[in-house]
Amino acid sequence: MKTPARIRVRAAAWTWWSLLPTLLAGEFSPPPGTSDGFAVPQPGRRFEFPRDHGSHPEFKIEWWYLTGHLYGEADRRFGFQATFFRRAGPRSPNDNVFTNTPTLFDHGELHLAHMALLDVREKSFIYEERLNRSGWDATSSTTTLAVRNGNWSLRLGTNGSPPLFLLGSIRGETAFSLDLSPTKPLVLFGENGISRKGASATASSYYLTFPRLQVSGRLTLDGREQAVHGQAWMDHEISSSQLDDDQAGWDWASLHLNDGREIMAYRMRQRDGSTDPFSTLAWVDTQGQVTHLGPAQFTWSTLRTWKSPDTGGVYPVHVQLTTVDPASGQSVRYLLEPLLPEQELTGKLGGVAYWEGACRVLDASDQEIGSAYLELTGYVGSLTERFR
Amino acid sequence: MPEPIGARTASGLTTLLLRKFALRHWRSAPRQSALLVAILALGIAVFFSIRLANRAALASFQNFTDLITQESDWLIEAPAGPLPDSLLLELRERLNPHPVHIIPVLETTAARPQTDPDEAIGSQETFQLLGVDLIGIQNLAVRQPQDRSWFGQTTASDASANDPARFWNIFSNPNAVFISAALAAREPLRPGNALTLVVNEQIVTLEVSGIIRSTADGPQVPATLLVMDLPAVQRLTGRPGSLSRIEFIVDDGPNAEARRDALKGQLEHWSQGRWMVFSPTDRRDSAATMTRAFRLNLTILSLLALLVGLYLIFQALDGAVVRRREEIGILRSLGVEERSIRRVWLLEAACLGVLGGSLGALLGWAAAQFSVRLVGRTVNALYYSTSLQYARLDWSELAAALLLAVVASLLAGWIPARTAARTPPAQILVRHALAPPGMQFWHKEWLGLVLVLVGFGFALLPPVRLPDGVRFPLAGYLAGLCWIIGGGVVSGWTLRTLGRWARPLGRWLVPIKLAAGHLVQPSGRHRLAVAGLVCAIAMTAGMGILVASFDTTMRGWIERTFQADLYISSSGAHSASTENRISPGTWKGMAAHPAVADMNIVQASEVQLSEGKTILSGGDLGLMNRRTRMAWMQPPLAEDVFDPERNEALALVSESFSERFQLRRGDPLAVPTPRGPKSLTIAGVFSDYGNERGSILVERRHFAAWFDHEQATGLMVFVRPGFSAVALRAEWLEQHPGLRIFSNAHLRAEILRIFRQTFAITYALEVIGVLVAVIGLGLTLGSVLLERRAELTTLRALGLNRAEIAQATAAEGLILAVAGVAVGLAVSVALGWMLIYVINKQTFGWTLGFDVPWRQLVGLGLLVIGTGTAVAFGVGRWGAHLPADQEE
Repeated sequence: MKTPARIRVRAAAWTWWSLLPTLLAGEFSPPPGTSDGFAVPQPGRRFEFPRDHGSHPEFKIEWWYLTGHLYGEADRRFGFQATFFRRAGPRSPNDNVFTNTPTLFDHGELHLAHMALLDVREKSFIYEERLNRSGWDATSSTTTLAVRNGNWSLRLGTNGSPPLFLLGSIRGETAFSLDLSPTKPLVLFGENGISRKGASATASSYYLTFPRLQVSGRLTLDGREQAVHGQAWMDHEISSSQLDDDQAGWDWASLHLNDGREIMAYRMRQRDGSTDPFSTLAWVDTQGQVTHLGPAQFTWSTLRTWKSPDTGGVYPVHVQLTTVDPASGQSVRYLLEPLLPEQELTGKLGGVAYWEGACRVLDASDQEIGSAYLELTGYVGSLTERFR
Repeated sequence: MPEPIGARTASGLTTLLLRKFALRHWRSAPRQSALLVAILALGIAVFFSIRLANRAALASFQNFTDLITQESDWLIEAPAGPLPDSLLLELRERLNPHPVHIIPVLETTAARPQTDPDEAIGSQETFQLLGVDLIGIQNLAVRQPQDRSWFGQTTASDASANDPARFWNIFSNPNAVFISAALAAREPLRPGNALTLVVNEQIVTLEVSGIIRSTADGPQVPATLLVMDLPAVQRLTGRPGSLSRIEFIVDDGPNAEARRDALKGQLEHWSQGRWMVFSPTDRRDSAATMTRAFRLNLTILSLLALLVGLYLIFQALDGAVVRRREEIGILRSLGVEERSIRRVWLLEAACLGVLGGSLGALLGWAAAQFSVRLVGRTVNALYYSTSLQYARLDWSELAAALLLAVVASLLAGWIPARTAARTPPAQILVRHALAPPGMQFWHKEWLGLVLVLVGFGFALLPPVRLPDGVRFPLAGYLAGLCWIIGGGVVSGWTLRTLGRWARPLGRWLVPIKLAAGHLVQPSGRHRLAVAGLVCAIAMTAGMGILVASFDTTMRGWIERTFQADLYISSSGAHSASTENRISPGTWKGMAAHPAVADMNIVQASEVQLSEGKTILSGGDLGLMNRRTRMAWMQPPLAEDVFDPERNEALALVSESFSERFQLRRGDPLAVPTPRGPKSLTIAGVFSDYGNERGSILVERRHFAAWFDHEQATGLMVFVRPGFSAVALRAEWLEQHPGLRIFSNAHLRAEILRIFRQTFAITYALEVIGVLVAVIGLGLTLGSVLLERRAELTTLRALGLNRAEIAQATAAEGLILAVAGVAVGLAVSVALGWMLIYVINKQTFGWTLGFDVPWRQLVGLGLLVIGTGTAVAFGVGRWGAHLPADQEE
């Protein structure tokens, strides 16, 4: 079942394009819907919360994506990933077979979810994938943030306000229950509330991000529970768009700098191996203000690779970023060093393997100045060929 | 017989004796040796094949979800009716945040459409149609060592395997069905092909969308398993919101066991009587329990067949002792000890056991392939749906069969071995017969009488009660054994008496004089031969009486009970566990037909009482009382049970129910329903030979309210005078091709056919019994003649020709056979009585009328006497040629 992976592919593509303010300039008026009957993001949308933290079934694809670093007893270090996807199937007359009676077994919408935990001390990386139909075992509320997939859930407080509450588990004996409180306001990427994905008028998304969430909670490891704290990043994207045929994959990173700022960077890789001109890097300052930089204003280079024994994929897991610090105007160099090379999700259910790993951020003098999550896709097989 | 290895040591003598003594005899009489091995093999074969068939019947009951994911830790089922699927939300909420996989299942049955409206019940295989959440189970399927995910399967090339459009097409297709590789290969079917089935009374066309993957080492997916998306099955069966059960899987881990136990506790705690928690093992066990009595009975019957075989082995080994007596005498005079002689004989018996056992296992395994179908048919008709096709070889059963063969041979060889060992060294000089030790038992006729009386004592004892309301008539079988052996001992007296009666005839006929002379004081061998005959005939005739009684009772019951003109069910209903129903829309339309005078609509559901599962049926009680003559064991004392306005708290129960749950008229009865438990009072007990698990009958109107549906399992139609049932049947078959409509006569014939099928296996046992008994008679006479070699020589010297000697032996055989038949038939009547009133009543709870099939019994007697005399004549002719000094 490959569809969910497709969601992920698009996720990166849209995120990346949405960071291109230059493309958003000028008057843009998208059609009200796609040819297959889904909604298209419209400029100037007034978001209402908590409703818009919830699900938007009129759109084909939506996801809530959490990554973060945790510290437990004696500062034992962990990385975690918790992602919830929603994907609607094609809308056709066939669909109406079941729709007469409300059912717990929807056949037009799927929910994919991934949970991963990195235990740095034990050098162990475990993860679990889950796929369910919309219905009895997977739901997403349309009034607030409340998504569930089996026993995994992410939701806002009962009155629709933070903190967020995440319940996750990996196989039988690892579980986390975390409170996540935003320490910065929600960031809305894109021009006039929408972020365009490409030349096509329907290719755009609503893109909402909590760049820094304070985390506290409990982590159960091999049946033993401990208190943890740390920080996390969360994306929420809503779209109905299609994937660009020319893209082979992407590299993505989110950096939490110790000075209270964040960096997001994308490098889209084209099928011929070149870097797509839409690649971008964005700074979020301590107040949550975003500064976008074009591909000419940063470099993304690979220092070392790691070959997966499971899939054979060769991932560039050591990355060096050079860019300009908008606060000082100085050139800076950051090294992303994985806390463990083995952080690959092999994608048995989703059909696509990718690397989503916790890294430490080192500066030019090898001082640790922050933490990061690095995402590397399209290194095992060709994504676009499989999902065109 | 294999030659033992390693001679010239301590066991050197034994080896030498075996080779020079036993093996030489086996070689010189190959046919007899082969016969002996064959007889033992036959007995073992019967035992082994029945055990294998039983095992296969059990193995065929499994949790089908195990095949497509992994074995569940727990499952819950409602005590009656389905579980509501809204329960899934409640359970997920309650289980939060525990990582527990919840697997909802809706299971139903389906069959291929009938090709002939008159086809026999059971002629179509029953498919298990399993509705599971096809997306949800992917999460478990991908964890299997060999990825068993379903979607993306294509026909030949995998080119379109990753095509999302294909996935959505299958997922949104309400007729998509996944089939087993076995069915795909057999039909043959490929993805994209249509598969037409009868589900309920509807003929539906499904689209094969893929093959259920199975691993090479895992359980094989049976051909009859079909898998669809759960909501599709809900829609197809007209059961929206229904689940058969919910299964739970706890993820592995160091504390998995504790988490499993905790989950069970939680499930039980939350149930509040709404469901019961089982493990898959519990569920298999209950299937095992359900058929335990049936399987035990079959095993006992096969052991009885072996008992007849034991007589024969004894007779054959005893004959061998007689033949080799001179040789043993020489060995003894050469200083060979008693111990060594006995050891050689026992070894020989053991070798015979191994040889016969192995051959028997081989034969039995082959026979099991046949008997498995007989057993399967019975299990299908009475218990649950199976699709038994072949019996797997089971090593523990094989070991048991071989052990049984060796123990039986040693047991039968024990006395002959002692006889051999005690042969005096100078036996060569002593020509007269030496009564073998142990044979004295057969002379104690009073002991036989005591045994018969003890048997009567056993027959009065109650059955052993096993869990789940299963009864096993152990005492009944012991009574049978007492009578068979006791009758055998007593038959010695009959033999003497017959000998005395025949003696006067000897004045005119020399052969009879000779024969009678030998039988007036019958030897142990004679007595044993008659006992063997008694055993075989008693069993054969006893079974005949049981079958005949069953037949007569069934006919009477059918005559009284089956009064409707047409009987209607789904044509997909081919087994006791069928889930195929007739939808209310269909039967309401039929009930409104002008030709219909009355229609009894029957609804049924399996319900779980605290003591075990039974069937709750709803029918029009007033109509049944008015239109049929119900056979009452305990008739209702008042008319209110037949009035729907007054019978909501009343129930009728079948006799087998009454026996199984020990409840009588007037007793209270709590029955679970989806609307909560109902307290009923038993108003009467009726005869029902339809199922041995018992049934409760209530007014259908109340049943429908309790279960909140009106789907019927069967319709009984009384046609208005002036209308033709034949025409109505034809009209309805035209309108509803998914229905099976029986005319009264056809249904009666079908029911009888199914019941006779149940007894098919007993006929095979009977034939073996008679065959073995007659062969035993021949063997005994052979030994007797060998012993009388000197006498035969004298007789010839006195002028008796060989024909006369043969005639004398034939007369001896005749008298033996007559004695065996007389006592055997007498014992058979007692045995038949016991089978009917004790074993059958205790096991199945069915009261049968006693009916002795005289003509059949006389025929059997004449057959045994005739073949016995003929065999004796043949042996006599062989004996007449015996030279005085040749050993054999």
